[in-house]
Amino acid sequence: MAEVILKNVTKLYGRKRAVNGVSLTCREGEFLSIFGPTGAGKSTILKMIAGIEPITSGRVLFNGRQVNELPPQERNVSMAFESYNLYPHLNVYDNIAFPLRAPRWGLKLSHKEERGKVEEIANFLGIGDLLERLPQHLSGGQKQRVSLARALVRRPEVYLLDEPIAHLDARLKFSTQSLLKEFASRYKATIIYVTHDYREALALSDRIAVLRKGCIEQEGGPEDIYYRPVSDFVGRLIGEPPMNLLDGQIVEQGGRTCFQAGSSFTLPVREGLAASMRSSARQENGSLVTRLGIRCEYIKLARERISESSFQLPVYAIVHEAESSVVTFELANVFFYARVRQELGLVDYRVSEKLWVEFDQQHMMFFPKTIELSAKV
Amino acid sequence: MSRVELNKVWKIYPRGNVIGVKDLTFTIQDKEFLAILGPSGGGKSSTLRMLAGLEEISKGEISFDGKVVNQLGPAERNIALAFESYALYQRLSVYENIAFPLRARKMPKAAVHEKVTFIAELLDLKDLLKKFPPSLAGGQQQRVSLARAFVRQPNLTLLDEPISHMDQRVRAEIRARIRHLHDEMKNTTVYVTHDQAEAVSLCDRIVILHQAELQQIGTVEEIWNRPANRFVAFFVGEPAMNFLPAKVEGERALSVASAQGRRSLALLAAVPPKYAGRELTLGLRPQQIKVHRRDPGGNCLPGKVRLIEFQGETTVLTLNIGGEGNTEMKAVVAATERYAAGETVWLAAEAKNMHLFDGEEVILKK
Repeated sequence: MAEVILKNVTKLYGRKRAVNGVSLTCREGEFLSIFGPTGAGKSTILKMIAGIEPITSGRVLFNGRQVNELPPQERNVSMAFESYNLYPHLNVYDNIAFPLRAPRWGLKLSHKEERGKVEEIANFLGIGDLLERLPQHLSGGQKQRVSLARALVRRPEVYLLDEPIAHLDARLKFSTQSLLKEFASRYKATIIYVTHDYREALALSDRIAVLRKGCIEQEGGPEDIYYRPVSDFVGRLIGEPPMNLLDGQIVEQGGRTCFQAGSSFTLPVREGLAASMRSSARQENGSLVTRLGIRCEYIKLARERISESSFQLPVYAIVHEAESSVVTFELANVFFYARVRQELGLVDYRVSEKLWVEFDQQHMMFFPKTIELSAKV
Repeated sequence: MSRVELNKVWKIYPRGNVIGVKDLTFTIQDKEFLAILGPSGGGKSSTLRMLAGLEEISKGEISFDGKVVNQLGPAERNIALAFESYALYQRLSVYENIAFPLRARKMPKAAVHEKVTFIAELLDLKDLLKKFPPSLAGGQQQRVSLARAFVRQPNLTLLDEPISHMDQRVRAEIRARIRHLHDEMKNTTVYVTHDQAEAVSLCDRIVILHQAELQQIGTVEEIWNRPANRFVAFFVGEPAMNFLPAKVEGERALSVASAQGRRSLALLAAVPPKYAGRELTLGLRPQQIKVHRRDPGGNCLPGKVRLIEFQGETTVLTLNIGGEGNTEMKAVVAATERYAAGETVWLAAEAKNMHLFDGEEVILKK
């Protein structure tokens, strides 16, 4: 297994910068996710590492050796694409066995050894009974698992996986995700994984690089990304519902620093947080504006007043999840969501009912505005 | 708005004599928000199409407020539909798209305007009314499609997977809007989906279809706590219910093989005598397992942590129980509880959350 390093890698398509000065290290045996919305440049990075896409500038190194000039077949990588790319005339067995037969790797497996390897990975991914079928007789989810099996059957220096489970249904996605995690730890594999699904990124990765318009917005462990997003962009990309974001301005009221949204909502901010709120603020039309971020699990609701800093709002809608409910409110033209755990039966709040709401200030953050809020999605 | 009844409804496709829907009977109450949930090929689409009048009913009856509608087309049944694929008229403005079903019913101009303005307000579309669909983002198009479905008060509103493919950033918002819309308008609504999370989150009651047959109809709470069979138990909930081999040791006692020998578990109700000594299947929801570092006593099993999957608010643990089958289990814990791979922990389940199956069949009815 190899360590992969990208140094200041840029990719231009004509004048468009698809990838802009990305530097990134994937250590040996590490599971690194490249995570971001569609069009952020995730797949382009992966293709440059694979050698499918030439690099405009910068360097790609495998174990310290520059591979910029090496064609794909001379870089010892295995890839799985979102678009399967199966050989239509070969059955599932032969598709999976294909990389084992490439003379380049000099594996020279006996029939029995080859069958052993193909069956092992096929059974592991739950497609062991499809080996004789042709790709045209498979469902999308089955094709995707065949494509993944083909990538995992061999031990290359690095695995490059591009949305390899995006097309599986929810149930299968979840179980295949666990299998991938198990595979990674069993073989201490170096894996670079592209996804737009925050759940996969959080669950699978040792580290995550969040990509935004060709640049790395944040790099860190899953908990850094979840608990300490560096921007409203990262906060919004993670969680369902995503992080609540609320625009407002900083005002002084009764000797306290407050966050004010709309005309009626004023929240006194505790001492320690006021400084961070000020440093995130910008002058706009004579007032100091900022953006408050808080995850839905850190909002407390009750029928009675909770504390001095709690406030009252009418319920816009309630949707239930198996073990919790998400209560939606509308404030200053945006929705925000509070999750209520229902250890003691179903939540019986009603639509339009006024509830007391409290933000846990320990988990409140402030960001400069860098994205449009979703009232206009 | 109507009460809709399906009475012994069958759909048989003559080609290959395939049964799409088998002897389906249930009632959608007036003003109810009901989900039809099931895996693909389970009969959801056939049911939807028969409700809409897009497909012939092979046998049985569908009635609206007691009146049989088998022979009526979609327009005569007065149905509103919203699909996953929006199906907006690309050359009409947002306003005209929403107004379309009203104009088709020859509603006077002033009334059309009033209705369109009202629904546009509810769905935050006021600023978009003059735009055309191609210039809208996916979430906006979906809102227009919903506005068109909810602009009038039909007998029945049918929503076919309207949000399953949407981005996580907008899904929560669209869910809240749909639920709000229903609570405001009280349209009798049927929501068809293969996604159990959608069904659970939005609807008052859920109909579960599998292999052309009704498996269960009930509230979320009923389906979650009292699944009618093993299929329903497995299908609803993510991660899915754990199934473990368990032996009946006494009237209210089971034993499960573990790395530390057979552990005995106490049941809330008595197992019928015919199962004495039998090997059955114990079902435990990952969300209802409490994880302890020390043996807390009571109903619990030792498990070795194999995988840890961080999900943000929660963490999903995959554990090995050991024993002859080396059974695997999943447990959902708060992300603030931290465990290490290889660590042995104790998995405790309350007797009231234990499900018992003989094959597909539920043994202990609650």
